[in-house]
Amino acid sequence: MTRAASWAILLLGITYFVLPLLGMVEFSLSMRRGEYSFDAYAAVLADPQFRQTFSYSVVMALLTIVFGILLVVPTAFWVRLKLPRLRPVVEFVTLLPLVIPAIVTVFGYIRLYNTSSWLPLTGTIFGTNLLLMFGYAMLSLPYMYRAVDTGLRTIDVATLTEAAQSLGAGWVTIIVKLILPNVLVAVLSGSFVTFAIVMGEFTMAALLNRPAFGPYLQLMGANKAYEPFALATIAFIITWACMGLIQLVTRFTKHDKAGR
Amino acid sequence: MSFLTISHLEKSFGVTRVVKDFNLDVEKGEFISLLGPSGCGKTTVLRMVAGFESPSAGNITIEGREVSSLKPNQRNIGMVFQAYALFPNLTVAQNVGFGLRVKGVPAREIAARVEEMLALIGLPELGDRYPFQLSGGQQQRVALARALAPKPQVLLLDEPLSALDAKVRVSLRNEIRAIQRELGITTIFVTHDQEEALSMSDRIVVMHQGVAEQVGSPFEIYNAPATRFVAGFVGTLNTLDAQVLDPATGRVKLGENELTLGRAVPPGEATLGLRPEMLRLGAHPGEAALTGTITELDFLGSVIRLRIDLGGQKLAVDLFNTTRQAPPKVGETVSLALNPADALVIGA
Amino acid sequence: MTDLTSPPPKRRWHPSLTWLGLLPFALFILLFLVLPTMKIVIGAFQRADGSFTFENIAGLFTASILSSYWISIKISVASSAFGCLIGFLMAAAMVLGGLPRGIRSPLMTFSGVASNFAGVPLAFAFLATLGPLGLVTMFLRTEFGINLRAMGFNILSFWGLTITYLFFQIPLMILIITPALDGLKREWREAASCLGASGAQYWRIVALPILFPTILGTFALLFANAFGAVATAIALTGSSLNIVPIMLFAQIRGDVLGNPHLGYAMAFGMILVTGLANVVYIVLRIRSERWLK
Repeated sequence: MTRAASWAILLLGITYFVLPLLGMVEFSLSMRRGEYSFDAYAAVLADPQFRQTFSYSVVMALLTIVFGILLVVPTAFWVRLKLPRLRPVVEFVTLLPLVIPAIVTVFGYIRLYNTSSWLPLTGTIFGTNLLLMFGYAMLSLPYMYRAVDTGLRTIDVATLTEAAQSLGAGWVTIIVKLILPNVLVAVLSGSFVTFAIVMGEFTMAALLNRPAFGPYLQLMGANKAYEPFALATIAFIITWACMGLIQLVTRFTKHDKAGR
Repeated sequence: MSFLTISHLEKSFGVTRVVKDFNLDVEKGEFISLLGPSGCGKTTVLRMVAGFESPSAGNITIEGREVSSLKPNQRNIGMVFQAYALFPNLTVAQNVGFGLRVKGVPAREIAARVEEMLALIGLPELGDRYPFQLSGGQQQRVALARALAPKPQVLLLDEPLSALDAKVRVSLRNEIRAIQRELGITTIFVTHDQEEALSMSDRIVVMHQGVAEQVGSPFEIYNAPATRFVAGFVGTLNTLDAQVLDPATGRVKLGENELTLGRAVPPGEATLGLRPEMLRLGAHPGEAALTGTITELDFLGSVIRLRIDLGGQKLAVDLFNTTRQAPPKVGETVSLALNPADALVIGA
Repeated sequence: MTDLTSPPPKRRWHPSLTWLGLLPFALFILLFLVLPTMKIVIGAFQRADGSFTFENIAGLFTASILSSYWISIKISVASSAFGCLIGFLMAAAMVLGGLPRGIRSPLMTFSGVASNFAGVPLAFAFLATLGPLGLVTMFLRTEFGINLRAMGFNILSFWGLTITYLFFQIPLMILIITPALDGLKREWREAASCLGASGAQYWRIVALPILFPTILGTFALLFANAFGAVATAIALTGSSLNIVPIMLFAQIRGDVLGNPHLGYAMAFGMILVTGLANVVYIVLRIRSERWLK
């Protein structure tokens, strides 16, 4: 391939990606007739519903991250240490949420955990929130597990654990003081992806009728002219920030290791 | 006119000149090694012959045909790479037949040639295997067969043995040389391993910082190094600073010892090169004698290497290990014999 | 100090205790993935009273449902085919095109962002660009007098959705194919050209066959990705485009099909399609990794 053709392909591609973002930002600034302004953003920020749904999603994202870490780190650690033969199986299972569409899973939740079932989670608001958090955790499982497992691969789990055990450390101490700090970057990467996923998620929250940011976005899109684009810009910035933070922590540790 | 001529070849990457005024004439059927440390430009020369790099200046002709402006696929050159570079999606037979296939040779002829080549490299049963099913040594043999199958005019070998185990390396080295002789194919072999170069080549080009320092047979390169770099790079060499006492007879002062080389040397300071195996313990009539103290002793199996202090200058000496003789001890003062004719007087 | 004469206490691991470490994870998967999915699959073969039937599956073969599957499959195929092609070309330009290495890291980061920037906001971005009042639509009309709408283009259509989906499909392809392109050794190309092969012959006989499993596998992954995408479609088209995820969404919300078990069957059909696509992906992935060791 010649260099000119390569540049042409790349520039065309970049144009395709930049135009929608440009259009989105342009629209979000066009609320005031004839000049650019942040009116749409002001309107959005003044909307109590925005604050409610946004903080609801942030809290849900944080809870999902905590739950995801508590679930994934010990599991990945345990599998590496004690059940290495099961690793391909567990890895396959963690990829299943990519195979089964979210809309199908949440459909199952609604039918399985309805008010007349053995575990009526959807009967209460707390239960529904819990169910939604589990759903979010499922959606982010492939990313979280992969990140943590890759992080564990770089350290010698078995040797570290044996060394700690010989010094009298218990399992909780081993995981909290030994494994977690060593896979911190991996855990952080997984957490940022989870955050981005939860903040933008629509299907599950909408079908479980929870006041999350995603359904709010969709609602605004159906009813308002300029605000949705300000919201979309905010959502895009959140995604960017999460990815940027992943790059940052990864780079930070690379320098850290090189400096040693 | 030689079979392959490289004249005034130059290559610069940016401001760095990696190959400087490189000249070489190769006869048909010759096996030439380009020997030098990494970064000396030897691989760049090879890649220019292959056509992967275009020269900044100079000419390359094969059988009188100027090839510098030709693309690699128009040059009819066979090349073997360090990392085998077999096509992983093709079987051994398909790999070997690749060159003929892209030329549009009929399938039956390809099959016959592939069979012939696989027999030549001694792997006649492996035609249906994939590269990932072969050992490193087998892969490199297949790579050789693939390069040779289209009957190239010149064979280029880019450190083909470096990725292999020591044992495989020696056996494959002999095998490559045997095949090269059998086919009489003109070959350029790039290596940083002096042992490979000395054992395989008709002639060696020793390269250093983009310059061909010396071109000669292995015998010449080892016994009569033209420059200090060649002397130091090929084999182990003691370099000793000497004061010339009499330029006409070659009488020099080496620390506290005096030595007559029996040939004229330039007046002033001289550098003497002594191979460790040139020196023997004890006094021998008709040979020059040096006296020094043993400071170190390394037992290497068939050879014992001594480090001797000659009044401020260090000297390595190799003795053959014999059961009849007890080895000397560290701290002993010993006398060393040397045939003055062997000593190398090294120019700048 | 420790008594060295007595043997160290041997820690004996009861097998069942080892397995117990997986219990939380297994429980989570069972409760929130396996059982809900099973509920759907079983429900697809049940009547309202719980008896076994093929009626629901047969019910899928009505004109409106079949056509929704057909449109969904068409959009998924188109967006993954173009996603693969364009993503491949962009990655090849980046890796093999002799472009400065500095563009690589930002492009990969952006691909990571864009492949995650799906859902509702993405729909808005495209509405703002190619919608009736979008940036590009208006620009083309005022500057060049090209009326996209009059030419039959509508963002709420098959092509509109396909173009929108490409925004996450192309980056996903770039993310997956770049390592594979890196895996093409320079020596393969050089060996081929030494042996007399043209650039086209090298690509046909060596490079593309090596990449083929990865490309086809990624196609399957992109297909499943597009097929299951709900939010973008709903936010972009509302309910004006009759595709499977939108129909299923409406069915879950309000039983628009008038038969709850028909919804199960639709969901089951989705699992079947995405599951099949992913099986293809995994099989081909394993094949390509065998070569690229």
